[in-house]
Amino acid sequence: MQDTKQTESAPPKVPEYFPVDRPWEESGGLTHLVGMRCSACGTKAFPARGVCSHCCAQSGMEPVRLSARGTLYNYSEVHVAPKDFPTPYVIGFVDLEDGVRVFGQIEGPASALKPDQTVETTTGIVRVRANGTPVISYKFRGVPS
Amino acid sequence: MSAESFVVGVGMTPFGRMKERSFESIGQEAVLKALKDAGIERHQVDEVFCGSALTGRSMGQRVLRDIGMTGMPITNVENACSSGSTALRDACTAVAAGRAETILVLGIDQLSRLGGGTIPQLESDFDPNLGMVMPALYAMRARRYMHERGATSEHLARVAVKAHEAGKHNPYAQYRNDITVEEVLASRMIADPLTLMMCCPTGDGAAAAVVTTRKRAQALGRPLIRVAATALQSGVFKTGFRDMVQSELTMRTAKLAYETAGIGPEDVNLAEIHDAFAIAELMYYEALGFCEPGGGPALLDSGATRINGAKCVNPSGGLLCRGHPVGATGIAQLCEAVWQLRGEAGARQVEGARVALTHCTGGGVAGLDHGSCAINVLVAG
Repeated sequence: MQDTKQTESAPPKVPEYFPVDRPWEESGGLTHLVGMRCSACGTKAFPARGVCSHCCAQSGMEPVRLSARGTLYNYSEVHVAPKDFPTPYVIGFVDLEDGVRVFGQIEGPASALKPDQTVETTTGIVRVRANGTPVISYKFRGVPS
Repeated sequence: MSAESFVVGVGMTPFGRMKERSFESIGQEAVLKALKDAGIERHQVDEVFCGSALTGRSMGQRVLRDIGMTGMPITNVENACSSGSTALRDACTAVAAGRAETILVLGIDQLSRLGGGTIPQLESDFDPNLGMVMPALYAMRARRYMHERGATSEHLARVAVKAHEAGKHNPYAQYRNDITVEEVLASRMIADPLTLMMCCPTGDGAAAAVVTTRKRAQALGRPLIRVAATALQSGVFKTGFRDMVQSELTMRTAKLAYETAGIGPEDVNLAEIHDAFAIAELMYYEALGFCEPGGGPALLDSGATRINGAKCVNPSGGLLCRGHPVGATGIAQLCEAVWQLRGEAGARQVEGARVALTHCTGGGVAGLDHGSCAINVLVAG
């Protein structure tokens, strides 16, 4: 956020991040979501939680870098949405290569997408608040086959 | 269950946008109709269960206060789209426990007071913060269903056309008009591939029923409509892959309902199912066992699920045409089932109906198929 330049005429809004702790990491040109791995049973999940939903362990949840790539299970181009979301935008469910399913926005247009195609994690603007503040989060984009 | 439950009275308001009315008056209309239909006085009600999801708190007390029905136990039930059906289940449990003999069940919501657009989701999940809305959840299911099953947008449109074909005969339906496949496809895109007319409307309404024991039902001299099953299940959390074409939750709930009632899907004469969006009807044909997995489009094409078909689905018009004031839906489905089993459904009557199934499912909770699913089986005699 410190690299945002303020200008006299139209001060750009400082972006917000969702979620605020930015659970993703860049590495070798790829973006990885950071989820959790239960050290007791090995279950991986995103987002991270305090208790393992599989074995109910209440400690030993380790941050884990999830696969950058996955397959697009399904998607939809949304045309009617709460007012913070400029339409149309595309959302979908992605099955990451390590088995974790993640919901998120997909870079469109929907006509360029198909079920079961490979996608990769990226980041970008997912909504714009009424005062113009962009909200940046993780999203996915198609990988040319 | 140790004692069987019977539905001896039902009543509902027409569904629609009634912003000028109070929800109290909407609820009172349904309650008074149900009491009258049962032939009982208000002071004969031992206990009340009220299902609602979005309108407010203490809904049962607020509705019943001004008609002088106070003092008895009132339980308010919230279970998203299954709120009304869950209230029915609780009523049958109270009968089975021998705790109460005559129970009023009310389902009510007034969505027009919430403003327009999609139903707001709780933002503690990530999904709504990233743009998830209910129509889009079903649209994604549709996208995958079309990919796996070879269904087309025309199939989705024909579900809506079929809903109106039946619902236009229903005096309680929010819409009473015929529509065409072309009109459905040309209506405004909501979440691709779902157009506006493939989505249920928001609206207001209430429905009520009186549930009692066999002995009291016989004494009242009303037609005997037995509640043969009230199955309720919740969605199972998954951190990984979930099949969004085959609804595991509805399949699991249906299995329980059929086992409890001692019937199979082949015995069902008519079903009121949760077609919040057109794709849902095709998915639930399969999940309820009305056809094999993959057979949804062919079952629709066969005409078997129309009013005069062998497996009539949504003679009331369903959520798409009758409407979906969320908490009221399960009891509106019950009303339709009772009218059908009594042979009182007029132009939309399913001839010779003996067994009816009602199905609700909903509640957007990230990581679950749905929050809940409720399936009731009603049997004449």
